[in-house]
Amino acid sequence: MSDEVLLRATDIVKSFTSRGKKLGERSVATAVNGVSLEVLRGETLGIVGESGCGKSTLARCLVQLLPVTSGTVEFNGTTLTGLSRRQLRPHRREMQLVFQDPYASLNPRRTVGDIVADPLRVNKVGSDDEIAHRVRDLFVTVGLDPASIRRYPHEFSGGQRQRIGIARSLALNPSLVVADEPVSALDVSVQAQVLNLMADLQETFNLTYLFIAHDLGVVRHVSDRVGVMYLGEVVELGEADALYDAPYHPYTEALLSVVPELNDTDAPRRERIIISGDVPDPSDRPTGCAFHPRCPAATDECRSDKPAFIELTPGRFVACHHPRNVAS
Amino acid sequence: MPDEPVATDAVLSVRDLKVSFATRQGELRAVDGLSFDVGAKEVLGIVGESGSGKSVAMYSMLGLVRDSNVTISGSVRFEGREILGLSDKEMEGIRGGDVGMIFQDPMTALTPVYTVGWQIVEQIRAHSDMTKAQAMARAVELLGEVGIPNPASRVHQYPHEFSGGMRQRVVIAMALSCNPKLLIADEPTTALDVTTQAQILDLMEKLQQSYGSSIVIITHDMGVIAEMADRVVVMYAGRPCEIGPEIDVVRRPRHPYTWGLLGAVPRVDSKNQRLVTIPGTSVSPLDVPEGCAFAPRCEYKMALCDQRPELHGPRDHQDACWLSDEQRVAIRSAPVGEAS
Repeated sequence: MSDEVLLRATDIVKSFTSRGKKLGERSVATAVNGVSLEVLRGETLGIVGESGCGKSTLARCLVQLLPVTSGTVEFNGTTLTGLSRRQLRPHRREMQLVFQDPYASLNPRRTVGDIVADPLRVNKVGSDDEIAHRVRDLFVTVGLDPASIRRYPHEFSGGQRQRIGIARSLALNPSLVVADEPVSALDVSVQAQVLNLMADLQETFNLTYLFIAHDLGVVRHVSDRVGVMYLGEVVELGEADALYDAPYHPYTEALLSVVPELNDTDAPRRERIIISGDVPDPSDRPTGCAFHPRCPAATDECRSDKPAFIELTPGRFVACHHPRNVAS
Repeated sequence: MPDEPVATDAVLSVRDLKVSFATRQGELRAVDGLSFDVGAKEVLGIVGESGSGKSVAMYSMLGLVRDSNVTISGSVRFEGREILGLSDKEMEGIRGGDVGMIFQDPMTALTPVYTVGWQIVEQIRAHSDMTKAQAMARAVELLGEVGIPNPASRVHQYPHEFSGGMRQRVVIAMALSCNPKLLIADEPTTALDVTTQAQILDLMEKLQQSYGSSIVIITHDMGVIAEMADRVVVMYAGRPCEIGPEIDVVRRPRHPYTWGLLGAVPRVDSKNQRLVTIPGTSVSPLDVPEGCAFAPRCEYKMALCDQRPELHGPRDHQDACWLSDEQRVAIRSAPVGEAS
């Protein structure tokens, strides 16, 4: 990991407008509400949050699959927001995606060899022979038998399909790989294989990962730094071990406390903090801090004033009026 | 252990349960020799990866597998009474009455076209002679017990008006409506977020204490097992490979598959090194080896593994593996290297 910023997002907002409940009414759901973050070259930045917190929308905005409502995304020193599709093309090669569902993200009517060759063909990289050679290399790289390139996706298991998706993402030698829940559809033993493979590939190709998942254990395992999202906002961000060992934000603290633990040592179990209620509707955001209706420590200040996202201790950012576990 | 005497206080006693399906590709053995007891007020966890047969085992013993190509054998005793092979009518008296069920997806477990109150009332009236008004009053009381705010008004709402966690609470209220002696929960929190999962697990624990039901919880998540279960059955390819008290299985696992399963879980409480992986993928249930089902993926495979190991070991913590105790100690105490 270096200190070089590969991707910088500044105050990203993404909202979706839909028909409201009444005729003629419009309802605006803010899926991402002012997110700023930096991804350093060579690191894995994990983004964790519950369903509906906007983590996938954020990823799509960062790689310009969705136009942002406001805010800027800089990649490798170039501002991507506002570029035309044609202008974006050379940058897209540098940012590739791995998707959650290895069943839905591979075209069932094409051979897996063609699927992996697609990015190369679209970008006209090399002759047919060179492409075929490269595809075979990629299969070996991700641990698949190159003899299987003429097969179809349905002939592979979930874990193997995810390897195919990873091979496709690596075809153009990207510098950034955005993986959106890459292992959540897999059984735990297969999940471990894919996570280990991704770690090996990162080392071999000096990849930068933006790793999005809801599983807190997986995120800690893969990440150098972690951002925690709640209702479209990053509420806490910092170095993975420090954040997991001493969460500042009450939401992070509650989230970590309720993950079922294996309890295989005599160490006392983290006390469970069960937060009541459900995540609010993103089209009807609470005033002040978005978490205040469910927060055990909420005060009047939290109900009226939105806390700023500040660097509380070096490298640790949090948006909370009453941060916890801060060593003084 | 088909010959073993049935524990007298067991609410549910399963012996040598086998479920197979005749398919064009041959016999598919989904469950192959499963035996366990669930004691009074005990929480038994059944853990396994997809395709291990954990759900099929439960559904088949409740008469919910209606495939005409299925063959079910063995013995399932509920409160001492054999329930395998009972008629539909007799089973209907048991399901939803003395045996409550909680399913994975609360949206498909509830019908979208009736209010939740209607659905709870229907279930109560099927198993008791309450009047509609009494049953509705009970439904409101149940919704309150499972932590739904304003139960008196929400009882008249439809499932789509509830969030995922709230829907699962409704399903739990339904399952509890007839004071079941046994609750079967199939992946009850898999579809839920972790904070909602915590709410539901907490609720199940509280209700288990107040209702005194035994629970069988089926899950793929070792963490959920560790939080909830008193005893655990680990299943692989339709067969039990380890059974024992939760704390022993988690802290002193005996079977190589359990070692892999536990080592593969990325931890929240500490940064682990490289994850342990189990090479390959689960065997196809069409093609389970005659010997140990796990042998093709096992690092410690020996010649003996061509024969099928039976569950053996101390009475309360058994496993199906040919490794001797000395071999296991040697393997487990070796420095943790990289699993291939």
